[in-house]
Amino acid sequence: MENRIDRFVRLSALLTGFAQLHLLGTGMAETYLRAADAALPEGVLDELLAAGSPPSAGSASPGGPALPGTAARPGVSALAGGTDPEAAAGQAILGDAKLGPVARTLILLWYRGAWTALPQEWHSAYGAAPRDVDHVVSAEAYQAGLQWDAAGAHPAGARQQGYGAWASPPAALETESAPGTTAVRLPRQAGAPTVTEGARS
Amino acid sequence: MTEAAEHEEYDVVIAGAGVNGALIAKHLTHAGFRVLVLEAGPGSAWSLDGYSRHLDHFYAAASKGPESPWPPAVAAPQPDTADIRSGAGYFVQSGPDKYGSSYTRAQGGSTLHWLGVCLRMLPEDFELRSRFGVGHDWPLRYGDLEPYYGRAEHEIGVAADVADQAHHGIEFPDGYDYPMRRIPLSFSDQVLADTIDGMRVTLEGESIALQVRSYPAGRNSVPRGAYQPVGAVDADVDRHDMITHLGERCAGNTSCTPICPIEAKYNAGKTLAQADRGKLRVLAQAVVSKVSVDPVSGMVDGIEYQRYADPASPRHTVHTARGRAYVLAAHAVENAKILLASGLGGDHSLIGKGLIDHPALYAWGLSPVPVGAYRGPLSTAGIEDLRAGAFRARHAAFRFDIGNDGWRATTGGPDSSVVDAVTKQGLHGTKLRAHLAATLPRHVRFSLAVEQLRSEANAVTIDPRHVDAMGNPRPVISYHIDDYTTGGMAAAAEVARQVFRQAGIEDCTDPEAGGWFPSVRRDGEVFRYHGMGHFGGTHVMGHRAGESVVDTHQRSWEHRNLYVVGSGSFPTMGTSNPTLTMAALALRTAEHMTEALAARQPIRQGEPSGF
Repeated sequence: MENRIDRFVRLSALLTGFAQLHLLGTGMAETYLRAADAALPEGVLDELLAAGSPPSAGSASPGGPALPGTAARPGVSALAGGTDPEAAAGQAILGDAKLGPVARTLILLWYRGAWTALPQEWHSAYGAAPRDVDHVVSAEAYQAGLQWDAAGAHPAGARQQGYGAWASPPAALETESAPGTTAVRLPRQAGAPTVTEGARS
Repeated sequence: MTEAAEHEEYDVVIAGAGVNGALIAKHLTHAGFRVLVLEAGPGSAWSLDGYSRHLDHFYAAASKGPESPWPPAVAAPQPDTADIRSGAGYFVQSGPDKYGSSYTRAQGGSTLHWLGVCLRMLPEDFELRSRFGVGHDWPLRYGDLEPYYGRAEHEIGVAADVADQAHHGIEFPDGYDYPMRRIPLSFSDQVLADTIDGMRVTLEGESIALQVRSYPAGRNSVPRGAYQPVGAVDADVDRHDMITHLGERCAGNTSCTPICPIEAKYNAGKTLAQADRGKLRVLAQAVVSKVSVDPVSGMVDGIEYQRYADPASPRHTVHTARGRAYVLAAHAVENAKILLASGLGGDHSLIGKGLIDHPALYAWGLSPVPVGAYRGPLSTAGIEDLRAGAFRARHAAFRFDIGNDGWRATTGGPDSSVVDAVTKQGLHGTKLRAHLAATLPRHVRFSLAVEQLRSEANAVTIDPRHVDAMGNPRPVISYHIDDYTTGGMAAAAEVARQVFRQAGIEDCTDPEAGGWFPSVRRDGEVFRYHGMGHFGGTHVMGHRAGESVVDTHQRSWEHRNLYVVGSGSFPTMGTSNPTLTMAALALRTAEHMTEALAARQPIRQGEPSGF
């Protein structure tokens, strides 16, 4: 059976559009799992992970154990027929009143390295945990934000690209792909000017 | 607290370890004079360990504004741009408009968070009254300051090519060039230049051609000749040991403001590290509270300062430092505050009066092609063509700064764009990533910094009802943005729209969608502006006492062994950021002080020569 961190990373890949390997490469998966546990009422994250797991991943009840007032949900693959797990995740999770906002906060967590508090209505319906407030998870989390990779850039103040790199066109994005995802490419600048002045002595 | 500084004899006591204080300390110590520098804020940025802690503070800060890496000590509070909206904080803003700028009270001063632009003022900026019938003339001309500009460019370590900078009447001596080659233009600059260069705009009937132009920057690049770039500083204050890590070039961290992680960008700690350490004592966490004046001679006979051990506490002890001459280099606002708190501003005094800034507008848009936003020094080029022209008789001049930091300053990008895509557009997975990849690299931002003229109604005052935790006055700021400046804002906003059209940039400038900024109105149009951190005018320089606070050497007319230095001395500021010009003035002051101190006149006898 998949362990919890694996399930977290696999679901995160579906939600973020970044491959599991890329997410693991940030070194932040465990930190984010802990941050989510601390900021969510007990059981909510496991409910989300269960909803994001295909039946073959070992969850007997795809929607996870039904909590009071919550109907069991069909799992991602059950809904999508296994064809497009990402779209299925969208239907099964992001459209859900309880899990949708949590999933969006997780997406923002990965992209920004910061926790975004759930809406007040959500708190009223499903409870609140003390750490569910807007906060940067850590200095490392800020630097690991996927938004900079998505932009073909780097976090302000870290992972700098080197002297004069800014004079070159932005690099095409890596073509790594998560299962069921398509490669993302930036259009390349045709005939972009090349600047080499920094290399002159 | 033991206070050795109190019992030692100094030639010069300097309040403030920013760029002005550091330059003067460096030159006076090398001339053989003993110098004490009192810095109100912490000295933590002067060691690598301390600097790294500031960097971590920035990484983990929820809001990454100019102040985010530099939290103030309780004893030395500082303005914070986040306070402008709430009305809380260090400044007491008495209106009618909000003063939008901030500064840093720490060893290194605001050079810790400056962008690094090192523009010279234009020759016509010194002669605004004679040439355009507005504002004031300086008591100095461009030619008077030119040699000091060159020296300041070498002190700061400016990267630029003379070939790019000789315009609007700026002249350089034959054979002169900047100590380092220009910082490469960003890809964004190049894309914009392709479409913008040569386009013409009309201001007050005058047709002006635009060009994307590299600007001089205090950032290490490729040195010219024998120039040795200065890297990060690691100082052990107690042991007077000093290591400078040489040769750090700008690596494109895209965070000049608020902190350069590798100190490739100039900060005043580098200059202070080059002082003769055997002649220098630097006391951080020493807040200058009062200048003491001998009532008979009018000479300053001591500077009172409050020393604190814990930056989290206002607990302090009070001491007095004495020297032959004194320099207030504490910041345009702090200088005025100290003089006023010392009871030195009489009814007709100009101290504190004439506060200026560059109120600036943002314009932002989406380029039709990727420009590689969020990479490189925050800004590498600008449009300088509207800094000069006959239109200055009618409205303010302005300068475009082209950002490499996408929409960070305007909307809080890229975070705000991610939040929008996820929560408003409902995107996730590869569609989200593709959307961001297709849009973030196309983010374009201009800052339109607009000139402001001195008005005595714009003033820093003090009020016993408003004091900080130490009992020192908080600056009370009266500030109004007049029609001359809003006229410049209107023209600048119109030029920005034309530039966007020319470049095919979708104009996304929407103050409602951006961060909160104060606003000012003109003819029903609302302009949201922000401060550029370009404080000036609070102890103006002039030819005569009564019309000015200091002379052209920044020497107080009333107290002849007191120098009040910095951008507070500026009668006008044109459209250039003040750092290079105040560095040039500081070098000129240091040269004058060296001669005056060497004359060895008994200090308390004052004039005519020496002190």
